[in-house]
Amino acid sequence: MTVRPKPIAQPQPRRLGSAFWLVVLDILAIATWGVLLLKYWLTGKLNVLLHPNYMWLANTAGICLLALSLLKAVQLLQITTQRSARNHFRSLPTMQHFSLFPRGWSSAMLLAVAVFGLQFTPQPFASEVALNRGVTDTLAMTRSQPQSFRSTTSPEERSVIDWIRTLDVYPEPDAYTGQQANVEGFVIHPPELPNNYLMISRFVITCCAADTYPVGLPVKLEGNRSAYPQDTWLRVKGSMITETLDGQRHLTIQASELEEIEEPENPYEY
Amino acid sequence: MTQLNNALTLFFSLLVEAIPFLLIGVVFSSALLLFVDERKLVAMMPKNPLLGALAGSMVGFLFPVCECGNVPVARRLIVQGAPASVAIGFLLAAPTVNPIVFWATWTAFRGQPEIVFLRIGFSLLIATIIGWVFSSQADLRPLLQPAVAQSMPAPQGRRSRRSKFAQSAEPASELLQSGTFLLNSSGQPMRMEAVGAQAALAASSVTTKPLSDRLQLMLDNVVQELRELGGVLILGSAIAAIVQVAIPREVILSLGQGPITSILAMMLLAWVVSICSTVDSFFALSFASTFTSGSLLAFLVFGPMIDVKNIGLLLSVFRGRAIVYLFALAAQLTFLLTLIINLYVS
Repeated sequence: MTVRPKPIAQPQPRRLGSAFWLVVLDILAIATWGVLLLKYWLTGKLNVLLHPNYMWLANTAGICLLALSLLKAVQLLQITTQRSARNHFRSLPTMQHFSLFPRGWSSAMLLAVAVFGLQFTPQPFASEVALNRGVTDTLAMTRSQPQSFRSTTSPEERSVIDWIRTLDVYPEPDAYTGQQANVEGFVIHPPELPNNYLMISRFVITCCAADTYPVGLPVKLEGNRSAYPQDTWLRVKGSMITETLDGQRHLTIQASELEEIEEPENPYEY
Repeated sequence: MTQLNNALTLFFSLLVEAIPFLLIGVVFSSALLLFVDERKLVAMMPKNPLLGALAGSMVGFLFPVCECGNVPVARRLIVQGAPASVAIGFLLAAPTVNPIVFWATWTAFRGQPEIVFLRIGFSLLIATIIGWVFSSQADLRPLLQPAVAQSMPAPQGRRSRRSKFAQSAEPASELLQSGTFLLNSSGQPMRMEAVGAQAALAASSVTTKPLSDRLQLMLDNVVQELRELGGVLILGSAIAAIVQVAIPREVILSLGQGPITSILAMMLLAWVVSICSTVDSFFALSFASTFTSGSLLAFLVFGPMIDVKNIGLLLSVFRGRAIVYLFALAAQLTFLLTLIINLYVS
């Protein structure tokens, strides 16, 4: 009869168990983030969150995160099913690492936020944020400078941001008197404007929703602005006049035609 | 309800913009940690303290790691005998002066390129100055945690004078130390434990392992850092979103437009929020319309150097006293430089 030597230093099943679930949690968290990024891409909601220049980054990151979770899953599978792989993996040195949270917390938080993100549909900002951030008809010096300024654009082709950029270059409102306007945007009722004025506005984005800022032009109406509630999207046609509002001369659209439109897929201007 | 929705949109927008950069940063830092041999790097560093500090500050271009990755690297640099100026310069500048952070900052502030260049410039300047100041302490060991100090090679040349830090650090008599000693190659006695510790720390350099093992470790490291830094990123983005939406605009404006209050507020925020340097520019961006340029710079320069999160990390290398010096010097220099920007430039 041969006596088999008792294997020494058997891995304790309990510890392996908790380590196993922690790695599973990591894999789930990373994979869910990958899915979330791809979901925003495929549903077009990325438009609300990012400037188009950086969308490829988020899309690529989504794919990479999915691939990463897959690799990690394969590694985990090898370690749990093949003893030699497990022993070999244990023999590798671990990198010194600093942790702010206990191990499971971070992954749990990442997973929870990603799952929540899958349920949540980002909404573009509206008049409330615009009023809070301060709508202007000037681009402050700190703002991104015009990327493509074409003075030859005919007035009726200018969007709200084109008008603002034009004003930025030549700020005298009288210079534009009588030019035709045809712009789209959402309605704001700034408290400092009289009741027969509203502001037609757009958000401009340079990087992500964190830095969107509103720009707008005052619109002079025939009647009261209450006919056009805040956040309604309008196409405004009219001609340019100069009005003194709140003690300052402003380029204003004298509206001749207001048409309610659908909120565009991509609410920002660039 | 709208407010909640706005806060959430802002929150996810920050995350979606920041996660790609976080991923790039983490992959690079893991790869370099496993494929670059720091010992060769240490040997190449100039001996002159000022040049050493400058060179150390620029090493970040080779190790694009954010502050969570750079303390372990700085620790290995110290253990492998890098001069104080190099190690401190690296510690303070590497999280900012590196190509990934440059790209991320450029993405966020391409409308204000001066912020991008001033961020890099100020970080280099401050790190070099502090590295230079620390180089006057020829023997770093009294400022280090005992475990790190023991595993350091003894300074070359004459025996270093024992500074006042040394007395507080090692109250026991130098002549009568208990323990086991070995003679090292230069005939100096070395503590037995120190030999073990040095070997352990040196072993953490895994550049000698076979490639497949290194790739396994790299995957592990990527997931680990992604988890840690992702957690911090989520907390940071949540704070940014809540501050943007919940605090009345008048309060933020009155704080953010003062040349001094804005800098102090942003430095405090940087210290508390502890957001990773690869993505902190997006956080700062959400304050760009309400805060002075100087204060945004203060956030971007000071945050990566010292914050709540990395104090715990720094304590694994330095004693508390050294961290206080680092903190005070970095805070004062950041404040001074960004105040100049606020008062004279913008």
